[in-house]
This record gives sequence, C-alpha cells and structure tokens, in this order.
Amino acid sequence: MNSETSELNVAIFFCQQLDPDQDGHRRVIEKEFGPRIKFFPLPCSGRIEPLHFLRAFEAGADMVYLITCPEKVCRYQQGNIRAGKRIAYAQKLIEEIGLDPERLKLIMASPPLPKRIDLLTRELLAEAPVKGHSLLGRL
Amino acid sequence: MITAERKPLDEIIAMISPFKKVLVVGCGSCVAECVAGGEKEVGLLASALRMEARMTSRELETLELTLERQCVYEFIDRLTGLIDQYDAVLSLACGAGVQAVAEVFPNIPILPALNTSFLGQTKEAGLWLENCRGCGDCRLHLFADICPVTRCAKQIFNGPCGGSQEGQCEVNPDTPCAWDLIIHRLEERGQLDLLEEVYAPADWSKKQGAGPRKIIREDQQN
Repeated sequence: MNSETSELNVAIFFCQQLDPDQDGHRRVIEKEFGPRIKFFPLPCSGRIEPLHFLRAFEAGADMVYLITCPEKVCRYQQGNIRAGKRIAYAQKLIEEIGLDPERLKLIMASPPLPKRIDLLTRELLAEAPVKGHSLLGRL
Repeated sequence: MITAERKPLDEIIAMISPFKKVLVVGCGSCVAECVAGGEKEVGLLASALRMEARMTSRELETLELTLERQCVYEFIDRLTGLIDQYDAVLSLACGAGVQAVAEVFPNIPILPALNTSFLGQTKEAGLWLENCRGCGDCRLHLFADICPVTRCAKQIFNGPCGGSQEGQCEVNPDTPCAWDLIIHRLEERGQLDLLEEVYAPADWSKKQGAGPRKIIREDQQN
C-alpha cells in the first residue's frame, strides 16, 4: 500500500456469505487501520441500495467498495446481479454531482469460496486507484 | 397510478440555488411505486444535493420528509408548523401533489423535482407502461379491457389498421399491437361479435374541452 492510499477513508460493503468468519477477520483490519476503514456486512449483496453508497460518501469516504460473490454463485441466485445494477445507478448519480464514479467500485470475488475478508481488503487497499481524498473528504 | 421521473440533477440544483434551507418532501403513493418520489428517493436526492452543495461551497440545509399522499389535505397538514422554518420545499410528487401543497402554503415556493409522465401500470419490477389517457369516456368493456386510445399508436376505435406485423405495432415495433391483443382476448372470451359494431369517435369534450376537469361526489362531501 502506498502512502496516499493508506490515508484514504474507505467504506467496504460486502456479502457476508463470502466469509463465514467475517466477524473476526474484519476486526483484524479494523484494529490495524482504525476508523478509516469501515465495514458493512450484508446478508446478500442484493440488499444494497444506492442510498447506502451516497451516505458513505457523505460521511467522508474517499473510496467505496461493494464486494459480491462470484458470478452464478449467489446464494439467492440474483443478488450480485442486482447489486451490479444498483452500483451502476449510484455511479451515474455521483457523477452528476461531480464526484469521480471510479471512487465507487464493484468487486466480484473470484471462485472458490470462502474468501477471507481481511485478505480481500488488503488486496483492495494495495490496488486502490491513487485518487487521493475526495473533495468531500477534504472538506 | 401516476408515473413520474426525476428531473436532471442540474435542473434541480438550479431551482434550489437561491435557497439555503430546503424541505425535501416525498410522496408515498404513486410516485413511490414507480421509484421516483418515495422515502428512498427523497433520501437519495437530499444526500446528492447536500454533497453537491458542499463541493461547490454553497450553504444548504435539508430536512427529509415523506407524506403518505401529497394531493390530500389531511396528509399535507403534517407540514403545518414545519414548513415555515424553510425557504422552499422540493417536492417529489406528481404535478397534482406539488400544486396541492402550494395551495395550502401559498407563500412558500414549492419546487417540482419530478417530471410527471402518465397513468400506467407496473408491468414488472422496473417497468411501467402507459395504459390510460384519462379520456373521460371509458369503453374498455367493448375492447376486451385493452384501451385502443392509449395503447394503439393510431388511437383507432375500429381497428385493426392492418399495419401490424407478427403482433407488433408498425409505428413502434417494440410495442405489441393493441388491436392484435384485443382480438385475441375477445376470441378467448367468445366475444368477437363485439367487433361487428362500428364505434363512434370518443367524446373528447369530456377530456379537455372545458379546461381542467373536476369530479364532484356530494355523498362524499362535508
């Protein structure tokens, strides 16, 4: 992780079906990074609403991620497909207000499951696009 | 159901720009069903407007509220005592709701956040279709409950026109031919004899010939 991405405020929404031990695994990251990384476990990524993303940005997130199950592996069949459509809608909306839509990213985990959410998060942080703080985050 | 769509955000931003305190009011009826003006959409729009204001160093305070119906006084009355604390109301209702609120509170600008579209049905999740023009002279019972005024591009009472192909409209090939639907349903119901009648044109005076229409039911009045 470079110094710029290590300073970013990041919100991570994720399907908790990805990691049966997500509760313990995400606490490792929360302890290490403190309040700059916020996790929002979902019963299924299909539960996500565009409003969740906007609230995260409004609260100061510089990057917002949604991690879903791999394609065709959703326990509820279409949850990750719905999540993809909702993230696309939210990306258009944040673009309308002048926020870079690249700050909101859909990550579809690769098979096989389970995946450790702490390891996935480290990968994300290492690969985070270097965009610095969003204007909202700086204010 | 009355359908509507949100206006482009830049149009809404321009409307609210003279105001610092804006009450964002949704409507929990028709426009909530078509995902344009319910509680979630109020939250989404208010959040987007607050963020845009922060990024452009503009002062904006909002409060979000959704009325069960914005076109009925008993529900609008919830705004009494609250609306005076705001410079303007951004209404996520249909045009009827916006005007109803403005009539109760004539001294406060009520800004429309939606473009009202048509009377329609929810065909499936995320798909709304126009199926009523509100012509004031309903004859659905003669046409197997499929409205030729709304659903036929040529609005003909004595169809079909002969231009449809494989059951699709020649004007808009994405749309099923209303007359194809009418004939098939009448056939299934054993009512094809209804087509032998030549139907007179609609009485359009019941639609818009005398300005805005009204319905009076004395038994419902106080």
